[in-house]
Amino acid sequence: MSKKVGVVGVGYTGFSSVTPDVSWKEIMFQAANRAYHDAGIDPRKDVDSFITCAEDYWEGFSIFDEFVPDQLGSVLRPTCTVTADGLYGLINGYMQILTGLMDIVVVEAHSKISDLLTYNDVLSFAIDPVFNRPLIDLGAHPYYIAGMEMKRYMSETGTTEEQCAEVVRKNKLNAMSNPSAGYEAKINIEDVLSSEELFAPLKRLDISPLADGCVVFVLASEEAAKKLAHDPIWIKGVGWASETSWLENKEWGRAVYAELASRQAYKMANITYPKKVIDFAEVDDKFSYKELQHLEALGLCRRGEAGKSVEEGAFDVDGVLPVNTSGGLLGVGNTLEASGLQKGLEVVLQLRKDAGGRKLPDVECGLAQSWRGVPTTSGAVAIFEV
Amino acid sequence: MTFLEKTTDVRKLRHWDGDMEAQYLYTTGIAGDIFFKGIMNGKIMGSKCEKCNRICVPPRIYCEVCFERLNEYVEVSKKGKIHTYTIAKIDIEDKRLKEPLIWAMIKLDGVDGGMVHKVSEIAPKEVKIGLKVEAKFKNKKERKGSILDIEYFKPVK
Ligand SMILES: [Zn+2]
Repeated sequence: MSKKVGVVGVGYTGFSSVTPDVSWKEIMFQAANRAYHDAGIDPRKDVDSFITCAEDYWEGFSIFDEFVPDQLGSVLRPTCTVTADGLYGLINGYMQILTGLMDIVVVEAHSKISDLLTYNDVLSFAIDPVFNRPLIDLGAHPYYIAGMEMKRYMSETGTTEEQCAEVVRKNKLNAMSNPSAGYEAKINIEDVLSSEELFAPLKRLDISPLADGCVVFVLASEEAAKKLAHDPIWIKGVGWASETSWLENKEWGRAVYAELASRQAYKMANITYPKKVIDFAEVDDKFSYKELQHLEALGLCRRGEAGKSVEEGAFDVDGVLPVNTSGGLLGVGNTLEASGLQKGLEVVLQLRKDAGGRKLPDVECGLAQSWRGVPTTSGAVAIFEV
Repeated sequence: MTFLEKTTDVRKLRHWDGDMEAQYLYTTGIAGDIFFKGIMNGKIMGSKCEKCNRICVPPRIYCEVCFERLNEYVEVSKKGKIHTYTIAKIDIEDKRLKEPLIWAMIKLDGVDGGMVHKVSEIAPKEVKIGLKVEAKFKNKKERKGSILDIEYFKPVK
């Protein structure tokens, strides 16, 4: 049985607010082609299994799975869909290879969310229909849940709105060095603090805007990787977890799913002191406060200290723990199911010394973390190493 | 290779309009039936887990902590404290609300859980975590077996 699984190819499109010139199938085709080119493989011969990550409602299809194979090169081959964030797909591909049944697995996740004209309504369908959704009749936008989480997180940890705004400033600035990012900007925290209050304390610029885009990973067993051109980036540990779906019972101030997912991943990777081993991280920042909450959940800083640390520059590109060098979802855009894979992509590019103007010196181990967004309490973690 | 040619003239970009018809009837189930019958009678019901020594609100037939089947339903307090809240300025259509709405997670006294609901009869500035609130039910005639039979939660006087 293969003990190691490596990333041997990545392909991606740019991330942007709209993509009216290409269909969702063409976005996938583009990223897939780049990934196969990068890995030096022919999908029609060399790949044993294909995984896509998609939700029917985001796509506007019933049984979206059926529409996947053609543009991935997986017709007449083992193909399946993971209805979750891209990191869950990566983890499934990793496990398929560990079984010894597969040598090369392709994982794909995309967003063509600009095709969806009623995002708020579809998102509101993710809320319990009987016990919570009726509030929508009173005018409740589903992001009110994020406003409530932010309030509780700030109250439990003493984190301030200014510190959350600092996350936005940092990530959008990082995105300036990422040619693929869709929402780069040079702003100061006053711009964030004075942006329209939507679900107080959550403001417009605290929210990652939606984006289209696609990311494809090629994974390989150690043996198969040897025959390919790239030095693989190894997957050292993975984890995933879900809390209860009851809004009434979930933790509002803590990201328990990220605490559990990371502990599982650290254990697998034999990491006792994550702060010492993890050189940089890409964590979910669908909302500004989530980055701070997630960093604390991952054990990369003490609870209640992420806010202070971001103010002191600890998570800047040249800080002690660079966080979201890609620009994060605040700078790249929220690509929904593709956002976890976009985070994994940045970690791989950094470890390959392939991150252009935002390249981090001397990094050997990076962490990617995803959250499935409001109203979920689910997320995944993957740790990569050179 | 991927694309040999792409459209460069935005006036030529096409799309196709579509919509998804989706209507559901969500069964409320055994625990939901007890909860909503309670609501129609001006009561909030929970289900008790002996093993964990907790009362779940809203009620459910299983305890997600220990996975025991729950059989005992009890009426719980209509009063509680604001666990967290937000002041919403826009609605689901991204339209500016005339008056901000206060949404809150209310932990009901003596139970594990509570309700996510609207808070009223208070200025947004006055709302605080820990504020004591109570359910204000609609008149019995207007109740339909919905969480909206509670009009809102209001500060305990
Ligand atoms: Zn129990």
